[in-house]
Amino acid sequence: MNREMNKVACPYCGDVLDSADALKGHIFQAHKGRALPGPAGQIRLTINRAEHVFQVEPNWTLYYLIHDKLGLTGAKQFCDRGACGSCTMIVDGKPVLSCMMLAIECDGKTVETVEGIAADGHPLIESYVKNHAMQCGYCTPGFVVTSKALLDHNPNPTEEEIVEALSGNLCRCSTYPQHPIAVREAAEKMKAAKK
Amino acid sequence: MSKHPVDQTERMLESFDNLQADKHQLNEYKFLGQKIPRRVDGLAKASGHADYTMDIQVPGMLYMRFLDSPYPHAKILKMDTSKAEKLPGVRYVLRYDDPEVMEAVIIGKVTEFFGVEKPLSGVAHMEGEPVGAAVAAETEDIAEEALALIEIEWEERPFHLDPMKASEPGATLSFPERYTDGNFWNRGIFDEISSGDLKKGFAAADKVVEFSFNRTANTWVGPERPCGVWRWNGDYVEIWLKHQRIHLPKSRISDWFGGIPMSKLEVYSPFQGASFGGWCQIDWNLGPLWCAACVSKRIGRPVKYIFTRREDFFGGSMDEGTYFAKVGFKNDGTITAVDCTAYLANCQWPVFNPTLHIHDNTRIHNQHGQSKSIWVNKGINTPTRCEQLPPVFTQTYIFDRVAGELGMDPTELALQTDGCLGHDMEWVKEEQKKRGFEPRDSLRECIEKGKAAINWDEKWHKPGARKLPNGRMHGISFTWTHEWDDSLGSAEFAIRIERTDGTASLLSMGADNGVDAESTYCMVAAEELGFRLEDVNYNTHVYRGFFRMTPDSSTNMSVNGWAVRHAARILKQKILESATSPSSPTQRGSFLPAFPDTKPEDLDIKDSVIFLKSDPSRRMSVADFVRMAGESGPLSTTENLGVRAGWSEPLFAFSYHPQYGGYNPNSPRPRFCRQAHFMEVEVDTETGEIFVTRVVNVNDVGKVINRMSCEGQQYGGSIMGVSRSQFEEIIHDPATGVMLNGNLLDYKIATIKDIGPIAPILVETGLGYGPYGLIGIGEDVGTVMNCLLGPAVYNAIGKWIYDLPITPDKILKALGKA
Repeated sequence: MNREMNKVACPYCGDVLDSADALKGHIFQAHKGRALPGPAGQIRLTINRAEHVFQVEPNWTLYYLIHDKLGLTGAKQFCDRGACGSCTMIVDGKPVLSCMMLAIECDGKTVETVEGIAADGHPLIESYVKNHAMQCGYCTPGFVVTSKALLDHNPNPTEEEIVEALSGNLCRCSTYPQHPIAVREAAEKMKAAKK
Repeated sequence: MSKHPVDQTERMLESFDNLQADKHQLNEYKFLGQKIPRRVDGLAKASGHADYTMDIQVPGMLYMRFLDSPYPHAKILKMDTSKAEKLPGVRYVLRYDDPEVMEAVIIGKVTEFFGVEKPLSGVAHMEGEPVGAAVAAETEDIAEEALALIEIEWEERPFHLDPMKASEPGATLSFPERYTDGNFWNRGIFDEISSGDLKKGFAAADKVVEFSFNRTANTWVGPERPCGVWRWNGDYVEIWLKHQRIHLPKSRISDWFGGIPMSKLEVYSPFQGASFGGWCQIDWNLGPLWCAACVSKRIGRPVKYIFTRREDFFGGSMDEGTYFAKVGFKNDGTITAVDCTAYLANCQWPVFNPTLHIHDNTRIHNQHGQSKSIWVNKGINTPTRCEQLPPVFTQTYIFDRVAGELGMDPTELALQTDGCLGHDMEWVKEEQKKRGFEPRDSLRECIEKGKAAINWDEKWHKPGARKLPNGRMHGISFTWTHEWDDSLGSAEFAIRIERTDGTASLLSMGADNGVDAESTYCMVAAEELGFRLEDVNYNTHVYRGFFRMTPDSSTNMSVNGWAVRHAARILKQKILESATSPSSPTQRGSFLPAFPDTKPEDLDIKDSVIFLKSDPSRRMSVADFVRMAGESGPLSTTENLGVRAGWSEPLFAFSYHPQYGGYNPNSPRPRFCRQAHFMEVEVDTETGEIFVTRVVNVNDVGKVINRMSCEGQQYGGSIMGVSRSQFEEIIHDPATGVMLNGNLLDYKIATIKDIGPIAPILVETGLGYGPYGLIGIGEDVGTVMNCLLGPAVYNAIGKWIYDLPITPDKILKALGKA
């Protein structure tokens, strides 16, 4: 029998061992006590507080996974790639361009999308509606998510800080003047709710 | 049925004479003019639940991508698609030489006007044009990979990028398939206007100035890219399409594949990521949709296409070109003659001649304007907020140039020249009276408000005369024109009172693109019906089969507003007639009216409650009225039990309104409403940077309906206009004809940080021909604000830069530093 036929790969680290017995010894020594890893391409994500397991291709972006595969279509693709902020999601507490992040890099991460922010009844949603901080609305979810990330870190931002935080979000309808008003109003509501 | 003494249908027909002021306004307004707390689409958009065509996925859907030409002008001699066809995941490759493709006519009888003959051409007239092949595959990535496997032998042809060079005698042809005897469309004369005697006018002048100005290619940058989904359900078709005029593609599509009955054709236009006219003004995007339809038909699966961002750049705004102006004036500021010719690139739509606004807004009698459209090997140019750009450029540059030459305050020169169709303000006021308006001087009111807001009297100075403490030069500018929401168009609206809860549904075409017109229609309907605002709704993205002008387009409230109002008034009449007529009539008799022994005119409706005017304690909510007349629907037979229930007539009304507008020199409608805009800038003479520090927009909209929507068009239009004049241009490599910046990293649009505070001011003179004396605003600010940067920079540095966009290198060049 060809000896190559007996070779086996370690499911933890990919090392190739000569036999099943050698593999057992290797696992006992190198990986004892650790859960068996999932198949290649499998990732776990917490999206809007719900646990998900996905089998992803290496070229899938986080945007593609969540927008096209999961069907949460709030994040939008405006520029094509990396220039507009419309696909912003909060990943482990930070706003990121989901079109620029590979899904396969997100294993174990926590993701918040606009749908989750709305479902939580965040005051930003109402203040955006009330202040008409939107026109065609295509870029609006990106602004809402970026503003949420700002308020998470800075619950009482100045107008300058809001403008700085939103400077990576493009709005062709040019609703810009309404966003600081909406974000400030949400911040005030949050402050009042804490009292 | 008891009849109301005023027949609202007759009034609707009367109002078609729209050369007059609105004769039937309300005495007081509850909603109109207010800041409404919520927009009808607000929650869907803010929460991410608003779906756009880009978001649509249907079961079994394939993705289509297109081959883009690497050359600006080239013909396919040979094409080998065999490798692409064999790639796993590829389901179909549609070729330009497919017999069905070659025979297809995608836009029926108007091909010459719109310029698109075939869904997939074998000849490219611009670099990046989708030509040759369309691939349908399981994923976009596979389709893209397949396109790279297609082998093509091209015949490269000479090309033009510069319209002036393309217009020279003997120039090579840039589009020989269409224009065989030169590169001019329409034999060179595109749109022309003249009045008075130019020779006499120039002879009467103390001074004559000639100059030219230039606008480079720029584009709409619609956030949602052009896209569509086609699904055959047997012989019933469903289409999702990004389009702001959904009735146009629907009627064209009905001609395809031997004819599809309109009644078997469903076109959905979900929320739209803005077009500003743009793609939707041309039918070029129907080519890809046809390809998707053809493949879908052949292989039995739905097909979706989405253009790449770069493909979206292959079209632009129809102001691209060079303008030659000549103006004669006297030393007191009297302008004696104006002549302007514009050489414009690739206009796929008749562009207005450059002196149209001078004709419409001034007392200048001697004038001539002419536009010429020349084809070059770049994208199609089309109205993009909007087709009035050439006239507003010309008006601004002519006035500011004359004011500059004379050292005059441009606001004074404007007031001195304001008028209409070559007549002065006395004539204008007489015309206002004749047409039933209370005479007002709209421009004077706008200028007074704007000057106060920007502190003009203190800040305006001679060119190049004010250096700021930060070392930058201060500039301030002003321009003006009329409000022009006034094109011809028609609208059809219906309103249905829903059974069970009595809420009102507005029914018309779905074409949301953000201006919040739908909330505005609800405000009008609620006001007229006497309903609470929350009881009136409009599902923005459902196409109900009715036509209407699109809200962003040149005619919204001045046409659609009438139609909504007619429908609401007819429906209210119907509700009151129904409330005073025997109810639940069947073969065995009927029950008493809800309001026995009353006539319709005895009743009114307020806060969605019907009441007797002489005794408001006799009241019944509309909800209760319709509930008892049909809560159980068609099966209700409680008559046997002695309970008043059963059937009642549907409470439904439809209306329509046609408009003969005034977008031509023979306009029967003198324009009375004006707009005035002011801008402050700082110019760094070391770096050439411009900082727009303040903008004041003053718009006489006649009557404000939806205040927040109006203001949104002011600040939104200002920022877009400034962005286009300061940052935006599509750049092509002159050697290869290749577009160099077809993406949003290299083609810059304004961000939240780029422009200072904007003060939106609304004036209400009631001088509009629309309902309540309104006129629109949507296109106006975004168009006019493209022009104001040039005069502001002139006021700052004392040099005219007649080449938009005004970038730092041009400032330094003008200052002799580069």
